[in-house]
Amino acid sequence: MAFQADRCDPARAEAKVLGGVIVEARGLRKTFAGGIEALRGVSLAVRQGEVVVVVGPSGSGKSTLLRCLCGLETPDAGEVVTDGARLPGSRRDRDRIRTETGMVFQHFNLFPHLTALANVTLAPRLARGLPADRAEAEARALLGRVGLKDKTGAYPAELSGGQQQRVAIARALAMRPKVMLFDEATSALDPEMIGEVLEVMRGLAAEGMTMVVVTHEMGFAREAGDRVLFMDQGRIEEEAGAAEFFLSPRGERARRFLSRML
Amino acid sequence: MSAAPKTRVPFTRRDAALLALAGGGAALFLWRAGSGPAGGWSWSAILSFFVRRDEAGGGPLPGILLEGLRTTLALSAWSMVLALVLGAAVGLLAARPQGGARPRLLRRLCAGSFVELLRNTPPLVLAFLFYFFVGDQLLAALGVEEAARALPRGGQRLLAALAAPPARLVAFASAVLTLALYEAAYIAEIVRAGVESVERGQWEAAYALGLSPRQRLARVILPQALRRSVPALAGQFISTVKDSSIVSVISIPELTFQAMEIMAGTQRTYEIWLTVFACYLLLCLALSLASRRLERRLSAGGRR
Repeated sequence: MAFQADRCDPARAEAKVLGGVIVEARGLRKTFAGGIEALRGVSLAVRQGEVVVVVGPSGSGKSTLLRCLCGLETPDAGEVVTDGARLPGSRRDRDRIRTETGMVFQHFNLFPHLTALANVTLAPRLARGLPADRAEAEARALLGRVGLKDKTGAYPAELSGGQQQRVAIARALAMRPKVMLFDEATSALDPEMIGEVLEVMRGLAAEGMTMVVVTHEMGFAREAGDRVLFMDQGRIEEEAGAAEFFLSPRGERARRFLSRML
Repeated sequence: MSAAPKTRVPFTRRDAALLALAGGGAALFLWRAGSGPAGGWSWSAILSFFVRRDEAGGGPLPGILLEGLRTTLALSAWSMVLALVLGAAVGLLAARPQGGARPRLLRRLCAGSFVELLRNTPPLVLAFLFYFFVGDQLLAALGVEEAARALPRGGQRLLAALAAPPARLVAFASAVLTLALYEAAYIAEIVRAGVESVERGQWEAAYALGLSPRQRLARVILPQALRRSVPALAGQFISTVKDSSIVSVISIPELTFQAMEIMAGTQRTYEIWLTVFACYLLLCLALSLASRRLERRLSAGGRR
């Protein structure tokens, strides 16, 4: 598969300078009511500036892993440490992880009663205590960065899916997170809108944002990912550099998954 | 806003027949009512119950019905405000957000018994209960009337305009309490349903952005929940105006009570009750219209 080989530049991984570990998960386990074991001992370390892509069949625990990383789920066992703050932990730690971890949801979850601008300024004003004019200036800059400079006054219902998701990304960035989590950010979008969101995500990756991305977009995983985790049945089955994973998956299950996806 | 498509409705012979039937019925009713024992319509007297002339030779003074209308308005307004605050508090206590945990047993017990106790008893009985217990015992023991009497003249006049003069303040307060509690039970359910209707993703997004529990509720959830509850809340406010006639049984001089007084004095039964009917109708129609406009204004901005 020659086209794959020349698309992933082997020199790139070396060229990117990664910092120390900023997000670490150790032995995460989570069983939901009803006995579904979503996570069966997941450990992971993400270094600063790294883009980790998590792939796997649905129901493999990818989303639960992300939700544990940002504090939306409390694991039954194991812990998450982000920039020194621990989960499960004190309220202070929980609040620090919430504000330092940006989350982008599959269904955007924009606040429908607020304009795009107000969606972006809300959290900085309330949780970071930024004065309104500064929050607004920052929000305008962020909305410009995701290509929505002229949509600041629009309500979510007046925006397309792709535009809504870009507002959601700007909203998460407004808290100046140390790491961004993307939970199937393009899965709810019409095909023609996926590109504009992936474009923004690629831009973020190129700027050195630390990212954990759950996605079914294998093209994005290959091009923007530094490392790929393949999850199945609540475990990380395989872990490899993005180029290596797509060229030669080791396990049988990963190979079968890839043959279905590509 | 999408305007409703305009369709021409043809006026058929059947419509004409029905219209004639309805008009005939109304005419018959008016004729029968006019030829009652008191004989003949006498609408001019009704006007004097709205505006009467000052006997000492001064300008026009509010009549007994206008006083009643003012009391009904004051009663309804105070009850609505109190009911909204109380109902929202109880509703929030009982609400189980989507994806959230069930509220603690104590909270559910408090909110549940509040709602069930008040919803499952007739407001007439509540009115008596509160009048004798809260009015005669509690408020009297607290010395509310004495405190009101101790106010300067201006304060007393303001109190009389916004609520009731000192002599009737205790009865007025127990009437407000009755109505407020009764309506609050329903408002609590409306608010609870509104909060529970807000999608789980809204709570999660607010949480992930670092908002505190109070900020999540006040800035993200409640604005959406209340917006969805506007029609139901407006209905409850209209009910409050109508239910305020109940407290006529504890001698609050509101519209219905005043009408009964006049009827006892003049026997002008039909004129008086038709007038009172029209007064309530106008009041409630105005509220209904206002809520429609509010609803339209809200939906013109942020849609779901």
